[in-house]
Amino acid sequence: MRITQGMEQAQFLSSLNQLESNIAQTQNQISTGLSFTTASQNPVDAGLVANYSAALAQSQQYTSNANAAQTDLNTEDTALTQVQSQLQSLRDLALEANSGSVSSQNLTAIAAQATQIQSSLLSLANTQNGNGDYIFAGNAAQTLPFALTATGASYAGDQGQQQVQIAAGLTVATGDNGNVVFNQIKTGNGTFTVTPSAANAGSGVIGATTVSNPAAYTGGSYSIDFTAPNTYRVLDAAPPHTVVTFGTYTSGQTIAFSGLQVTLSGQPAAGDSFAVAPSSDQSIFTTVQNLVTALQAGNATPTAKTQLSNSIAAAINNIDQALSQTSTVQAGVGGRLNLITTQLSVATSQQTQLQTSITSLQGLNYASAVTSLDSQNTTLSAAMQAFTLTQQLSLFKYIS
Amino acid sequence: MSDAFGIDLSALQAFQQAIAVTSNNVANANTPGYDEESINLTTAAPQTVGFGGVPIGDGVSVAGVSRAYSQAATNQLNTSQSSLGQLNALQNYTSQIDNLFGTTAAGLSTALQTYYNGWSTVADDPTSTAARQALLGDANALASNINSTSTQLNSLNSDVNSGIVADVQQINSIATSIATLNQQIANNASSGSGQAPNQLLDQRDQLVSNLSQLVGVTTSTDSNGALNVFVGNGQPLVLQGVTTTLTTIPDQFNASQLDISTSTSDGNSINSSITSGDLGGLLAARSQAINPALNQLGQIATALAQSANTQQNAGMNLNGQLGANMFSVGAPLATASSLNTDNTHATVSISNIGSLTSDNYLLAYSAGAYKLTDTTTGANVPLTGAGTALSPLSAAGLSIVLSATPAAGDQFLIQPTAQAAGTLSVALTDPSRIAAAAAVQTSAANTNTGSGTIGPATVQNAANPALLNTTTITFLSPTTYSVNGAGSFAYTSGGTISLNGWQTKISGTPALGDVFTVQSNAGATGDNTNALASASQQAQGILSNGTTSVAGAVSALITGVGSQAEQVNTAQTAQSAVNTQAQTAVSSVSGVNLDQEAANLVQWQQSYQAAAQALTIANSLFTSFMDSINGTYS
Repeated sequence: MRITQGMEQAQFLSSLNQLESNIAQTQNQISTGLSFTTASQNPVDAGLVANYSAALAQSQQYTSNANAAQTDLNTEDTALTQVQSQLQSLRDLALEANSGSVSSQNLTAIAAQATQIQSSLLSLANTQNGNGDYIFAGNAAQTLPFALTATGASYAGDQGQQQVQIAAGLTVATGDNGNVVFNQIKTGNGTFTVTPSAANAGSGVIGATTVSNPAAYTGGSYSIDFTAPNTYRVLDAAPPHTVVTFGTYTSGQTIAFSGLQVTLSGQPAAGDSFAVAPSSDQSIFTTVQNLVTALQAGNATPTAKTQLSNSIAAAINNIDQALSQTSTVQAGVGGRLNLITTQLSVATSQQTQLQTSITSLQGLNYASAVTSLDSQNTTLSAAMQAFTLTQQLSLFKYIS
Repeated sequence: MSDAFGIDLSALQAFQQAIAVTSNNVANANTPGYDEESINLTTAAPQTVGFGGVPIGDGVSVAGVSRAYSQAATNQLNTSQSSLGQLNALQNYTSQIDNLFGTTAAGLSTALQTYYNGWSTVADDPTSTAARQALLGDANALASNINSTSTQLNSLNSDVNSGIVADVQQINSIATSIATLNQQIANNASSGSGQAPNQLLDQRDQLVSNLSQLVGVTTSTDSNGALNVFVGNGQPLVLQGVTTTLTTIPDQFNASQLDISTSTSDGNSINSSITSGDLGGLLAARSQAINPALNQLGQIATALAQSANTQQNAGMNLNGQLGANMFSVGAPLATASSLNTDNTHATVSISNIGSLTSDNYLLAYSAGAYKLTDTTTGANVPLTGAGTALSPLSAAGLSIVLSATPAAGDQFLIQPTAQAAGTLSVALTDPSRIAAAAAVQTSAANTNTGSGTIGPATVQNAANPALLNTTTITFLSPTTYSVNGAGSFAYTSGGTISLNGWQTKISGTPALGDVFTVQSNAGATGDNTNALASASQQAQGILSNGTTSVAGAVSALITGVGSQAEQVNTAQTAQSAVNTQAQTAVSSVSGVNLDQEAANLVQWQQSYQAAAQALTIANSLFTSFMDSINGTYS
């Protein structure tokens, strides 16, 4: 083939351009530390890197969500522990007041202490987190949830529960509303309550109440009526008031009917009655208020004493229910904290994995990059040298 | 003796000319388009009959100067240059778009991710104004990223327009020069000199070569030597000494985009036939790279805005109001062709985001029927409806209403997403108006004795005016309930209860008298239900019938743009090699090899010296003869 000088020069220039652009690209790789910087240089890996980066950023957001949830749950956990400790103190006070040898003055003092505990509970129920949000107000986070009333406390929060996402498809509740923690506490033993009639004249005191056969109890209300101090009958509260059972009473006797067992002690008078009803929800504040009212009523007369005993027994039942309710809530909080801890460690290893994948796809192998830069340089200088040499070859040099 | 002098003289003259031709070759060694020339020597016809009747030549004569030229190699080079010109122009744009979208850093994906993370942060602490403000910042950053990408793509379209204008001017000027040369060459032929006008031919070949870089051409040579040049599908550009002017006209649907036409095409675009050369590359860059990227970006902007707005509308803001739109975005464009014979216009809205594509559509009306064609795939898209407000034409997720029945032959270009990317903006400015909470809340009365629980209420129709009304569901028995004290409805545990645009579920066994309430969620400032839902839209399939998320579409766009740039790069590299081959082939035939010229020079020099020597010998022979005559007679 016939070669012309013009052709040689054009080809040298074009290969020079190519070699120099290769060197520029390798230099760019080395200075950025990335094997490609635009999608065109490696469309497949660029797509993967974009997906991994998105997954990484999302996982990091989940971690941040989980940390926020952890803070909220820890705040709630602390508050619940304090609520339980206050409830325990209240229970001790109630037991002390029920010991029988307490004077009216002491009862007043105990009532004052119970009022104090009520304030503490109120302040705990209105706990705010670092952002100033009320943690027991449900979703109404900026509304003061609890305010004392004559019969307990009103609740201005709602029944909502905040959730945050801590992993794909996994959300965790960051709190519990005050209604669940403080208001939805079952009265009595959790299934039914026994309440003495306010008109009772005898000294009948309610003892242990149990459900002996859950299947037999259908949620009905009954009335235990004493027709004589030693004779009782149990009537269905719903018309036509059929007699469910009847019998002879001695102090400490357990009366059983419809799957329930009620132990009474003391000596009821004829006409005394005790109402049996299914448990309903009662606010912890109402329980405390009722206890304070009963304590303040004193134990001056035998009737008052009997009423106080019954009130304290009811209060202790309710406090036990509240303790059980707060423990249940707290257990839930602990469970969620565990879940978050697990998820955080999963997220950490996932993020490491993603980071590794991104690096392996887009990260630069410096050794190979530097080697190829070296070889590209060699090629370039060899090309230059070869061109200079061939350019020197000209017949004109020899014509003289 | 006199014949020897004549012969020597002819040799000296011929070799002088040969040296001149060689020098001319050396002088033009670097001239573009120069074809190496060589002298054609022939023996001069014998004019004398020598002693004994033997014919003796009368020296050498110059028959002409011919150029080394291969029509096949030149045509091949021109074709390859057209392809390379097209790819160079296209590559210029695809690589700019590729750089525009980048890969990971500071790109669209990051902005989108940050926006969704902003929702998550609001969900972590819905009452925080700071988190809400940050979300608005993230949304603005995302919108402005999409806006500025769209602005840059549009400025690429302006570049294409300028390029088209410049190319057309240059093509016309080259065509005029070719026509002038045609005339000169034809004149030369008719003058009957018989000598090829090599310089004119070289110039014309070079012009055709330059032209072929701008636009693909085909040529044919007439008997008088004139070269006819055609572009596209054989539209004549130069016929003998006459040129047809290429013109630029505004596109019939989009006046901001220039089309190519000719002075004889009645204002019709010949875009479709211009597929190579720089001009072809510019048109391809616009139709294959820039506009598709704009449309896809617009599809992303539309999907983002519509999904975010729908979710916002279903939620409640800090002020206890239903959420207003988060983003505003331009509606689909429907442009009537400038060739339409009446003023009917089309209004297009998006009826189903899942079916929305990034393609453009051509709506044509003829013979009383509408026809919709996807301009990207060329496929016919089935239409339903009548095109009226009551019964809009419906296809591809679009709803099309025409202002009147169009005239037969009317055409409308529908660009569902072309302007969305440029018009996306954040409509919310007040952080408290971000709807992070659910619109309605549910609650169970504390006095309930049954085991029934009510789940959260989800908004099905945010436009229902009664959405926020308080609804009380009271159980009349464990199996029936009344709503707001009226009616008696059968209860199934877990069954859906829908009213006023919301939907909820009650499960378990409620007891007689149990009450559940659904009411406005006003005041629930700590509720993050809607913020969570907005954050989770990141993974939610919105496009392609719910299979592609907004983030997925972004990553597909980036990968698509990258793949296209890579493809064009590869094709350009390959075509460069082909072009080098073609150039080498031409150069091998027509180029000047200086060593060859040097050798020729030496050859001609030696021949010249020999002829001169022959003249000297003839001279000395003649002198000897004269001397001998002088001796005899003196």
